[in-house]
Amino acid sequence: MNLKRQLLLVSVLTLVLPWAGYQFIRETESALRAGQQQMLAGTARAIADSLAQYREEFPDPAGSDYTVGDQLYGHRLETRPEIDGYFDDWTIERESLQILRGVDGPVSFAVGVFDQAVYLYVEVTDRNVIFAQPGATTPDNGSRYSDRVSLINTSPLYLDEMISFSAEAPGQIVTVVQSEYAIRLDREILAYWQDVPYGYQIEARIPVSKLGTHLGIVVSNTAGELESPVHSVSFAAPTPGPFVTPSPKLIEITANLAQRGTRLFVTDASGWRIAASGDLSAPSSPPGGAGSAWLRIAYDALVESGQEPALAEPDPSGREQQDYIAQALDGSESDSWFRSADSGKAVVAVAEPIKVNNTIIGAIVLQQGTEAILSLTNQGLVRLMNVTIIATLLVAATLLGYATWLSRRIQKLSVAAEEALDADKLRSTLPSASAGDEVGDLSRSFSHVLRQLADYNDYLRSLASKLSHELRTPLAIVTSSLENLDHEPLNEASQGYAARARDGADRLRRILTAMSEASRVEELMEHAEPENFELCAALTTTVAAYRDVYPDRSFRLDTDPDTTMLRGSPELIIQMLDKLVDNAVDFSAKDDTIVISLRSAEGARLLTVSNPGPPLPEQMRSQLFDSMVSVRRGGDDKHLGLGLYVAKLIAEGHRGTIEATNSEGGVTVTVTLPGDTNGE
Amino acid sequence: MAKRIAIVEDEAAIRDNYAAAFEREGYVVDAYDARGPAMQAFDARLPDLVVIDINLKDDVEGGFELCRELRARAAELPIIFLTARDSEFDAVSGLRLGADDYLTKDISLPHLMARIAALFRRLDALQKPQSTGGRITRGDLEIDTDRMTIFWKSQPVGLTLTEFWLVHAMARYPGHVKNRQQLMDAAQAVLDDNTITSHIKRIRRKFVAIDASFDAIETVYGMGYRWLAD
Repeated sequence: MNLKRQLLLVSVLTLVLPWAGYQFIRETESALRAGQQQMLAGTARAIADSLAQYREEFPDPAGSDYTVGDQLYGHRLETRPEIDGYFDDWTIERESLQILRGVDGPVSFAVGVFDQAVYLYVEVTDRNVIFAQPGATTPDNGSRYSDRVSLINTSPLYLDEMISFSAEAPGQIVTVVQSEYAIRLDREILAYWQDVPYGYQIEARIPVSKLGTHLGIVVSNTAGELESPVHSVSFAAPTPGPFVTPSPKLIEITANLAQRGTRLFVTDASGWRIAASGDLSAPSSPPGGAGSAWLRIAYDALVESGQEPALAEPDPSGREQQDYIAQALDGSESDSWFRSADSGKAVVAVAEPIKVNNTIIGAIVLQQGTEAILSLTNQGLVRLMNVTIIATLLVAATLLGYATWLSRRIQKLSVAAEEALDADKLRSTLPSASAGDEVGDLSRSFSHVLRQLADYNDYLRSLASKLSHELRTPLAIVTSSLENLDHEPLNEASQGYAARARDGADRLRRILTAMSEASRVEELMEHAEPENFELCAALTTTVAAYRDVYPDRSFRLDTDPDTTMLRGSPELIIQMLDKLVDNAVDFSAKDDTIVISLRSAEGARLLTVSNPGPPLPEQMRSQLFDSMVSVRRGGDDKHLGLGLYVAKLIAEGHRGTIEATNSEGGVTVTVTLPGDTNGE
Repeated sequence: MAKRIAIVEDEAAIRDNYAAAFEREGYVVDAYDARGPAMQAFDARLPDLVVIDINLKDDVEGGFELCRELRARAAELPIIFLTARDSEFDAVSGLRLGADDYLTKDISLPHLMARIAALFRRLDALQKPQSTGGRITRGDLEIDTDRMTIFWKSQPVGLTLTEFWLVHAMARYPGHVKNRQQLMDAAQAVLDDNTITSHIKRIRRKFVAIDASFDAIETVYGMGYRWLAD
């Protein structure tokens, strides 16, 4: 992993910023919400205390002789329904219909209250509707053979009757009221039978004065004269439970208590809603404005979601069974939190028991929208997100830039160091050398190492000439002594020794000359005056000379006609060629052909000398042109490994390069010289 | 009367060898190992020829200094540097100080003797009235073989002994290529390729100094050099 990636990874740590901000916002939000809840709870407690004095408006706590859920609930209707067998003019939702199981399908019903009258609507699924026989609407002559809906109308101890609705034909029907003592037709009860494809619908209006405290519904489905009817009953107990209906008085009282944006329910001890007022619609336009849809999404993803706000709505069945309300009815104050992921509408709800003498007679539920909190946290979130995004981008960009800068410095340093090594410019200044940081230290250490290497290389390079220089004086002693000896009378044996000593001294002298050749070439190069000359012509005469010098080798010269001119020192170039040819001759066999070619490539001149022969050992190829390196096997007094070094000096003196490659069945040395003929 | 040769050389073995060789040839030899004693002796009497080593013990440039002082006193005194220092720079410096020849210690004694004999011959010839006997003329080139001097377009070219012999070898047979070995033999010296190259360069420069259009010495690459006939 490179430095850039590492630092980019580190910059990911800045993502802690939004996380911290998010934590802060959550804290703020829950603190605000807790505050709102407490305030709401306080209000709820005050209302609960004030409602306790209206003890008589609350139904008695549930008895044990009926099931609470089976009680009929009279929904408050806003308008007077037309008695026509249709539900569409009721001001309550269809969800408010309670459903019983019937023989042929569900039986749905609802009870409404409007202006001293109770309205009943029943939908019966019946595949085979059986009407009463004409004139048989009286209970004693065969009414049991018809399909019917009956309202069980009782008041414990003093009233027990059944109001039955059956029809001879669809339309207005006459109601039969059957009590323990009598059966009578009651024309004050209006009822309408509507035929529908799946069965029938009955709508009825019963004055409150005719009703007792406990009500229940029985739907009888008759299959035929001989069959016993099947009953669908709204209550499980032997007798129906008390009829619950909102208290107009409580509604009137609470209407004044509910503040704007606040919704208030009062339930009885069983959870039946006996009063409701206020609504949650926002007192002001929702904050945030347009264009913040994405913000909402982000917000929803970040902030605790709570329960669906639909659950905060009044239960359509009329009975509130939410956990927090149930807890209140158990005697403890409780609260809940509703929020919609879609609209962002949040609702805080508290429920408070209403107690009289430590008896819970009901509960008050207070709900309030949290637009204020939402807007506050929203704005905080917007700011947080903006700041975070800017900060993160800034940090990431800075780190990235810094990393790029740093890695570029290091890269430049490493490239420069490698170049210095390759190009043998070990004393060049490396980048960042003056920087005070670790990269600077690294650069300086590199420079130091390279300088030491340069010193060592220089030492190696000058070793040969220094050595030859130091050896020249003792050699002069030897040779001059031997030459003097020639003039002394010597016997034959002594003359032989002297001759051998002379040979040895001569060889030594040749070696010393070869050793100092490199430094002389360097000197020559310093003083050489470059001239433009015909390389092609020079090569032609030189190759002709080689043919004479090396009669047991063939030479071939390939030249490009357009590569003739070269700027440099012709003597040195030829001397370089001498070295290369000398080498080629040494590594080839008798009668081999040595090819000398001159080509032009990309503006440079390529001078190659190829000879058949054994390939160069791979590991020696790079050192081949160094001082005193030889790949020749065995001792050969003429060769100290300086020939190719001299060739390299000359090539580099002409701003060229030299390299040896193994070609097929031989070795090729290529000298690349810059081709401009009008240099300095 | 025997010629007197002074050797200033700090290396006793070489000094003695050279002294022995010179004496064998009939010269009188004064040998000194440092600049001080040599100058003292020269104050009293100048020798006929001086052979100087550049590096005299701790006196690294002592030979150069000695040469300068000698040349100041005697313009015609033949001075030969005989040294282990073979760099171009030293050779140029030595010759610029007025030395007649700059030799490295590679030179064999017979070669050295030949040079010394030649220098004396030249000295003698200069003191005689000019004769036309030993003269070669090649176009603008005139070679006085007795005095070992060369004229180009009638102007003297200040060549050292080695340079004279090289030009002489080439100009004797104009148009003939002289290879390096032939030139070396002619110059009575064992020179390597690069030294010959430097010599030829120096010779060309000296001629060009007189005549900017001089191009009579041609390099035949891979073979040698030749004097171009007009």
